[in-house]
Amino acid sequence: MSTSLSSPTQHRHERPTKPKLGAKYAAATAVLLIITIWAGIGVQVDLPAIAANWRNATTNIVQLLQPDYGFFPKTIPALLETLQMAVIATVISSALSLPLAFLASRATNPRPKLLAAVRFLMNMIRSVPDILFASILVAVVGVGALSGIMALVLFNISIIVKLVSESLDGEDAGAQEAALAAGASWPKANRAAMLPQILPSFASQVLYTFELNIRASTVIGLVGAGGLGILIDNVRSFFRYHELSLIILEILVLVLVLEALSAWLRKKLV
Amino acid sequence: MEHTAADIRFSDVSVTYPNGYTGLKTIDLNIPAGEMVGIVGLSGAGKSTLIRTINGLVPITSGSITVGAHQLNGRGGAQLRGKDLRELRSNVGMVFQSFNLAKRTTVLNNVLMGRLYHTSAWRILLGAWKNDDVELAMSALERVEIVPKAYEKASSLSGGQQQRVAIARTLAQRPQVILADEPVASLDPPTSHVVMRDLQRINADLGITVMVNLHFLDLARRYSDRLIGLRSGEVVFDGAGADADESVFENIYGRSLTAEDVLDGQAVL
Repeated sequence: MSTSLSSPTQHRHERPTKPKLGAKYAAATAVLLIITIWAGIGVQVDLPAIAANWRNATTNIVQLLQPDYGFFPKTIPALLETLQMAVIATVISSALSLPLAFLASRATNPRPKLLAAVRFLMNMIRSVPDILFASILVAVVGVGALSGIMALVLFNISIIVKLVSESLDGEDAGAQEAALAAGASWPKANRAAMLPQILPSFASQVLYTFELNIRASTVIGLVGAGGLGILIDNVRSFFRYHELSLIILEILVLVLVLEALSAWLRKKLV
Repeated sequence: MEHTAADIRFSDVSVTYPNGYTGLKTIDLNIPAGEMVGIVGLSGAGKSTLIRTINGLVPITSGSITVGAHQLNGRGGAQLRGKDLRELRSNVGMVFQSFNLAKRTTVLNNVLMGRLYHTSAWRILLGAWKNDDVELAMSALERVEIVPKAYEKASSLSGGQQQRVAIARTLAQRPQVILADEPVASLDPPTSHVVMRDLQRINADLGITVMVNLHFLDLARRYSDRLIGLRSGEVVFDGAGADADESVFENIYGRSLTAEDVLDGQAVL
């Protein structure tokens, strides 16, 4: 071993030549470039117009840089409502998502037709934007937090089911095989052998959707579904940018705090 | 723990996989209750297929297998499914090459998986095991000397300990038969002997029929009463381990014995 390393001229095997990928990379770059230019032309990016009109934004930006801290007490109820909506929506949707995730994974659902049906339903829910759910639900159950919570639940289920069923697909099915070989039915084997394996990933997805809910609940509020969104819509329509800026600052702080908290929790879970 | 054993009878059993590959060819075997059987052969000879037909993990194409009061039939015959199939499986324990434990949960929860058939769905959903079953699982762990680790995560155990937990899981079933599919293939030689001794003791003390697939010939000879040699899906040897000399192994393996065919690293038996 040491002799062959010290005499590099005497190779026992011919060294393979490094494969040439230059042409392939160049082709891939060219294709990406063409697609980007095509997309830019399609959406009519107008660089000269941006250059001419950028001053319009400066007045707004200057106002936004000076938050009106005195407005804070008036935002507290809406802020709390956003937080409460996010908590309730997260709890309800995690409870509903767990069984659905087991039905949506090839590894845990042996019935192909049921599997296809559940996956189709989930894809359908996921393809509807959350703000559309919110506006429909506002029309049905009225303005306020309830319609917001319902919209968030639908939005969350589609995300959690997708991610958790994917981690079930990737999970080692050995213990499940052993449970089935010992006479367990599929639901029993899934509960006993698969659930403990994916609990950390499930908890991590739930925390992530909770974070998303804070952001999403401000957006769906714009259509009247409760929380800070309603307040944003109010101040924005009266051009009160100092107050708007305070609300944005509050959301930023809330999101940062929750992100740090959930990052810490997730580290504990794994 | 009370265990009853069951005879296993193969009548003209063949297995052809959907891709046309022949797993087993017209197997006739009679395995009386309480026997310790070693099955040897090259990989692809049908060892795994043979073992997995007994609990219905691999469906047979023709012929029939009786396990105690249950009968498995080939295509066209009455099929064992649903509750009946699960009842058969609850009487047959299985040990796997890669242990097949749920690594993120406790050793005890893994052993309790042997009680899934006998436990109601709501108890399993809530994790509310019957006290009797917990005690049964504990005594199963006692038999493989892992009881102090009952509340530790399965992932924290060594390979040998994990395989012994898997054996305890089969004991918790109070099985008539234990099938072991290459149970020591992922273990080092000393640990292999510990696991094989566990299986031997279970067979001797509890009278449970044990069928073990083994790659290593010396292990198979040492730990089984009866040796079955498979080659290309056919039984080419069936007899006492002591009668299996080198010419028999040449017949099973189609070549002479090498150091890789024995656990202890020397090409002698």
